[in-house]
Amino acid sequence: MTSEINHIWLFNKSPQEVWDYLTKPELLEQWLAKTDFQPIVGHKFYFIGKNNCLTHCEVLEVKPYTQLSYSWQANTANDNKRFDSTVVWKLVPKENGTELHLVHHGFISIEDYTGHKNGWTILINGLIEHLNTIKK
Amino acid sequence: MTTQPLDAFQVIADPSRRQMMRLLSKDSMTINALAENFNMSRPAVSKHIKIMYNAGFISITDIGRERHCTLKKDGFDELQDWINYFDKFWERKLKKLETLLNNKTSNK
Repeated sequence: MTSEINHIWLFNKSPQEVWDYLTKPELLEQWLAKTDFQPIVGHKFYFIGKNNCLTHCEVLEVKPYTQLSYSWQANTANDNKRFDSTVVWKLVPKENGTELHLVHHGFISIEDYTGHKNGWTILINGLIEHLNTIKK
Repeated sequence: MTTQPLDAFQVIADPSRRQMMRLLSKDSMTINALAENFNMSRPAVSKHIKIMYNAGFISITDIGRERHCTLKKDGFDELQDWINYFDKFWERKLKKLETLLNNKTSNK
């Protein structure tokens, strides 16, 4: 069981070029979703996905060409109940381009990534051990 | 007694319930033994247990006069389904981004 999502992709483009695709609404719309994003900490914005499904977000961190993070508050499919999470982008310059790191975490509750950062990890680790012993 | 069912994220959002599951991740416990770890009324503990039970996070077995709580996989599977959903979501999106960037003439 994993409690966060990690992806690392290498693009043969400069960090500036990759950054543009993470921060300019007209470029974000081409690969992610329609948005009114602005690279300003505290800016509240949305992504409009399929079926006009809204994801509510707030910019948490902006380090140009290096790091970007925002909260990601999505609805669960069946019943429109919301949950919070955080999306973190890191750009690492490489000889032949840029490594883009994505971490999507904090699916459980806001305190897991503020107050009790390790709470969820500890819980998950204990559970993996335990669940492995439960008959399927 | 009816309790509004909560989804897996709401169940696990509560610190007391997370703590209960953490304790149960070590071993099965009776409701009484579980309650001893919390500074809350017995009905409050029972309510949390009912919520976890309804969402498939624990099972309850009566042994003699005691009710034993054991962690159950179903609730966690629902959480995992959601995380998997987003994992695939980002993979699709990043593939799209890669195509866009590859087709772009570098301005450097």
